[in-house]
Amino acid sequence: MSFIETDVQSALKNLIDPNTKKDFVSGKSVKNIKISGSDVALDILLGYPAKSVWDEIRAMVEAHLKTSLPGAGKISVSVSSKVVPHAVQRGVKLVEGVKNIIAVASGKGGVGKSTTAVNLALALAAEGARVGVLDADIYGPSQPTMLGISGQPKSADGKSIEPMTNHGLQAMSIGFMIDGDDTPMVWRGPMVTQALDQLLHQTRWDNLDYLVVDLPPGTGDIQLTLAQKVPVTGAVIVTTPQDIALMDARKGLKMFEKVGIKIVGIVENMSTHICSKCGHEEHIFGAGGGEKMCADYNVEFLGGLPLDIRIREQTDSGNPTVVADPDGNIAKVYKQIARRIAVKVAEMAQDHSAAFPKIVVQNT
Amino acid sequence: MSEQPTEIKLHQQSRLLEITFESDVCYQLPYEFLRVYSPSADVSGHGLGQEVLQVGKMEVGISELIPVGSYAVQINFDDGHDTGLYTWEYLYKLGENQAALWQDYLDRVAAAGASRESRP
Repeated sequence: MSFIETDVQSALKNLIDPNTKKDFVSGKSVKNIKISGSDVALDILLGYPAKSVWDEIRAMVEAHLKTSLPGAGKISVSVSSKVVPHAVQRGVKLVEGVKNIIAVASGKGGVGKSTTAVNLALALAAEGARVGVLDADIYGPSQPTMLGISGQPKSADGKSIEPMTNHGLQAMSIGFMIDGDDTPMVWRGPMVTQALDQLLHQTRWDNLDYLVVDLPPGTGDIQLTLAQKVPVTGAVIVTTPQDIALMDARKGLKMFEKVGIKIVGIVENMSTHICSKCGHEEHIFGAGGGEKMCADYNVEFLGGLPLDIRIREQTDSGNPTVVADPDGNIAKVYKQIARRIAVKVAEMAQDHSAAFPKIVVQNT
Repeated sequence: MSEQPTEIKLHQQSRLLEITFESDVCYQLPYEFLRVYSPSADVSGHGLGQEVLQVGKMEVGISELIPVGSYAVQINFDDGHDTGLYTWEYLYKLGENQAALWQDYLDRVAAAGASRESRP
């Protein structure tokens, strides 16, 4: 029995991508269908990085085609990813060398923003994306320590700076510019926002798919500058299940809504505590807080991470969990969350509704 | 999130800012109206009752619109006023309540014995 290209298309219409929850055809992932005799070859191009599941998707598509195309001979599917740049609001200058900017924020301090940000960045990189980290916490930069980077960045032309690199990430932080771990940045707001602007725009980011911005807590100067002057694709909110953290996380979320930045979703950190002695798992900060907040504001719950001593130890020593134990359970959760973020960002990239309105000046 | 506008048109001769929203709602807001209802602290103050009555703005022009993030626009008027950030929500509200707000402004100008016309 013979078949044509549309048969292949309609067969794939019934196959759902487990990451996007859409079928491959309407997700515009199917490319390059070639049929010769009874053999079929095609490419699946994903809009998000997903190296760790390429094989899974290939096997899934091949098996599906085998059952829905009776009489097919050899079926060969090749899977790859290509991250699309998002639409930028007009008036805001696009950051050179960066396709998408993801802000990681929280209302409260100490909920694990930086830890989450660096692990998500590493997870995105592990999935095959080119990723950078911008440490926007001017008063308390954490990324140099967490990424295990020391030393000062170089400048080839005296105007721009080269990002520092480690674990396959490009990184920039005010922490690289100052001497000693105990030097405080005693600055007022305008100085801080100017520093952020310089760190973002004067770093020579090299062809990044994602730039993860690790924000300080709160809803002040830095957050406002980010909203007004930086082409952010979306924001991820980190919180703990504790009421006192959720209260501020809600404010953070409302702030982004007010300034027109889309919320990618919420990550619940320290969801449960796993005892390092007996392995008992306990909701020490309460259960279900993150999910409830997501339901209240109709945003996606991206995932929850345990309060595990290894995350703290590994990240503090400059080897975050995703690189220290790449096949472990915790790394798996980070990678899952990273994939969800990437899928959402890809959807946002295609949605132009939030783009800045057209401005027309007429002599009428 | 509030409704997004799709187009902002400046009619420089008739001094009207025409704003169209996603739902095809369209408002024509006179420059003078926008100027006297600027959300800037210079005009609105820092709370109810702190508003500063703006007068003599009948012929005010707009020299530039500057996008602010993806949620607002900064309107630079040719009388030098440029500190108002007009969010989409605010512009929608101005359009929706244009008649009532305008009447209220005219009443306040009359009560103050002031004029909309700019003095020579």
